[in-house]
Parts: sequence; C-alpha cells; structure tokens
Amino acid sequence: MKQFNTFPKFWGLIQELALKTVKLRYKNSMLGFLWSMMNPLIYLVIFTFVFSYAFPGIDRYPLYALTGLMFWTFFSSSSIQVIESVINNSGVLKSINVPTIAFPLAAQVASLISLFLSLIPFSILMLIFGLEIGWETLLFLPILFLFACFTFGVSLILCSLNVYFRDIQLAWTSFMPAIFYSSPIAYTTSVIPEKFLWLMKLNPLYHFITILREILYYNRIPSLMQFLAIFALAVIPLVLGLYIFKRLERGFVSQY
Amino acid sequence: MQQSILKEPIVIAENLSVSFLIQRHGINNFKDFVITMGVKSPFEKKNVLKGLDLTIYKGECFGVMGRNGSGKSTFLRTIAGIMKPDEGKLTVKGRVAPLMALGVGLEPELTGMENIKLVGTLIGFEKTELNASLQAIIDFSELSADEINMQVKRYSSGMMARLAFSIAVATDPDILIIDEALAVGDMGFRNKCAKRIDEIKAAGSTIIYVSHHLEEIKKICSRACYLEHGRVEMIGDVHEVCDYYEHQVIRKKA
Repeated sequence: MKQFNTFPKFWGLIQELALKTVKLRYKNSMLGFLWSMMNPLIYLVIFTFVFSYAFPGIDRYPLYALTGLMFWTFFSSSSIQVIESVINNSGVLKSINVPTIAFPLAAQVASLISLFLSLIPFSILMLIFGLEIGWETLLFLPILFLFACFTFGVSLILCSLNVYFRDIQLAWTSFMPAIFYSSPIAYTTSVIPEKFLWLMKLNPLYHFITILREILYYNRIPSLMQFLAIFALAVIPLVLGLYIFKRLERGFVSQY
Repeated sequence: MQQSILKEPIVIAENLSVSFLIQRHGINNFKDFVITMGVKSPFEKKNVLKGLDLTIYKGECFGVMGRNGSGKSTFLRTIAGIMKPDEGKLTVKGRVAPLMALGVGLEPELTGMENIKLVGTLIGFEKTELNASLQAIIDFSELSADEINMQVKRYSSGMMARLAFSIAVATDPDILIIDEALAVGDMGFRNKCAKRIDEIKAAGSTIIYVSHHLEEIKKICSRACYLEHGRVEMIGDVHEVCDYYEHQVIRKKA
C-alpha cells in the first residue's frame, strides 16, 4: 500500500516537486530571478539611507544589514510557501496517495534552492561592501542548515493548523512585519536598553542572525554556547512540528 | 469449480467505517475556536462509511453504484490509501492506481513532457520506470511532438484528458480505480481507453469502476454493488444491481 516507502523514491518525489516550484517561479517572467532579489535590495537601499544616519556607529552598514536581510528573506518566503503548501495541493492529496509531508518538505527545499541561487549576487554585493572571507565563513553552511530546520519546524506547525483554520496564513502574513522589526536585522542590539535585552533574546531569529553576523561580519568563530543555542532552536521546533503534523494529518483530507 | 479456484480476494473490507471531520456549525475561524476552546471541540465526526463489508476478487471488473453522498468516493479513497479507516479492516493487495479525477496534479504552466514526469512521479513511478514508459505514454496520448512540448495550459480539455489518462494507465497496476473519469476525449480516444482497460483486465488487473452511467457499467463490469448510507445495500451481477439502482432512483423520485 505504501507507494513511497523507500527513501530514494521519496527523495525522488521531493526533488521533482521542488524543481517544479523553482522552475515555475522563474519561468514566466524574463527577469524572474532578478525580481526575487529586488525585495531585499530595496530594503537594503532604504536601510542604508535611513539607518546609517540614525546609527552612524555601525561600520560597513550595508554588509551588516545584508547579513540579516539574507536570512530574513529566506525565512519570510519559505515560511509562507510551506504554510500554504498543503492547501495549495489539496487536489492532488485527495486523489493520489502521496505522503502529505512531501509538499511542505518540497516547498522548503525549493526555498533553499532559491536561497543558494541568490547567494551568488548576495555574495558579490557583500564582497563589494567589505566582506572578508576566511575559514570561519565555511560555518555559514551548518548555520544555514540549522536555520532551515528551524524555519521548517515553525512553518510545519502553522501549516498543519492552517489546514483547519485558514486564518493562520492571513494572520502570519500580517504578523511578519512585527517579527521583522523585533529582530536585529537593520539595527544592532546596542540600541536596545539593557533591561529589555532579554525580551529580544526570546526571539529565535535574534540568535540565528547574531551567530551569522559573528562569522560574516565580525569574522569571529562563534562560541560553543551560541552553537548550542541555535542547535536547540532548530531541533525543538523541528521535532514539535513533525509531531503536530503527524497528529493532525489524519483529519486533513476532510478539510480539502 | 474452475471459478472458485480463480477467486482470489484482492480487496477485503470488513466492517469498514470511515469518517470525516466536519467543522461544527458556527466555528469557522480561529476566533471562534479560541473562544470555545475547551468547551466544545470545533469538529464533529461524520460517518460516511458505516460498517461496510465487501470483497472484490482478483481480475474482476467491479462496479460501484450509489446516489450522491452514499460514500462511493470515500470508499475508493480508502482503497487508494488516501483516507484511513476508523474501525474495521481493509486489506488491499497490490499497487493501486487511482484515477479519481482526470488532470489531477497537472501543472498548466509546464509542458506536456514535464507534466508526464511530474504526475508520473506523483503516482509512484521510479525514474527508470518513467523513462522506460515515456514513449509509450506519448504514443498513447496521440499528442504530436509539437503538442507534447507545449504548455499544458494551451491544451484543449480533450488533449489534457488524453495526457492524464495516458499517464495513469501507463503500467498495468494491480488495481485500477476509475471514478467517472472516462467520459472524456473524442470518440476515437474513448474507444482506445476502453480497449486499454480491456488490456489491463486481460493482464490480470482488477478494475473498480464508479459511474452513474448504467450502460457504461454494464459494458465494462461483471459484478457490482449498490451503496446506500455508507453500507452495501446490494451486491451481485451487474445487470441485477443496475435494475435495482434504476428502481431505487425512480422510487425516490416518486
């Protein structure tokens, strides 16, 4: 009965679905890929104008903002796609026996592919704005992987709830700017009063962005504590997300 | 005697119950959910199949009839593994190819060729299998080389149906489920579909066929059942069940 019971077969399905998504994203517009870069770039320009005057203390400000914006773009776009993935494929899910998890997972993989594509222009920009490459730069990959796990876990929880309550995806979209401005993407935490710093640390994005900055902006090797923190922040939502998804999956088909 | 030796069950439903979660009236959004949280569950169970017993044998062509909402599609979805039984037991032996709705999974922006790969993967082909049957699928669909490399959104609905059907019947599945999907394409293609179904049958596959079209069912199936309120009300020779169905419909109308 299980048609995707072997790993190669399941992975083949994920690949096919993810490639389809990436292909569709860039197929119908000539400048498709460039458009996807526009959003972070516009932010970058605005931030550079506004914030480098507001916080003149930040050295190489565009690089500082870019390191945060890169993660943010990935987080915002992939969470939305993962959340909508099950609903958008309800037609397939109610007529073909495909593992439901394939769709959110493929959406996440597609976002990762897009991110890697955007890394090319991003890194050129970062080099222009004074990025220094060292051995510690390689730590980017494991950090990115953990961040993707975190994103997937959180989105999976919202995705499963969204099948039952479509409000979730609307609420999430309007909730986004709040997360954006409460994360140290455009500003440094030094502008936050000491007594409120704990509040900021409740935001998981804070930890991911800080550790990324350690390697790309300060060229430092992050401390073990920082690694353990993001490791926990990646694993806990992922396990929770998979658990909630599994629990709620049974009822999905009634909601399509 | 010969008959009984050949009869090997392939789908066995024993006291099968399947339910839907229906959003309770008045709770359609998150606000209501939060307000009533803990007081009442936002969902209630609606039983669609209630203790259904049915055995389908290997190699036969079995018709499923019943009025709208009698549980036909739910039954097929359960066989296909899309829905899970709440109670009872369902044994399905072999690979199921569901043809619930034609054109499912087709991506309008992609070409016919890309869609063969996409939908093929979705219904469970491995890459090597897919490459091996690629030409056969294209040939069966009767789409020209130009058409197969065209975006599917530019297809006529007949062409789309031909493509979808060709992918679905590319290999001989153990069980082929057809849910009113055959009334597509032009005359020539319909005959071809019927021929392909005979071929699949001849290869020893089982076909489960749902339709309201009595003539079609009589032509293809040998045995049939009539579902009412999630139970098997009648099972037997296709002609008897068709007569019963007709009577039921007339009786209900009167």
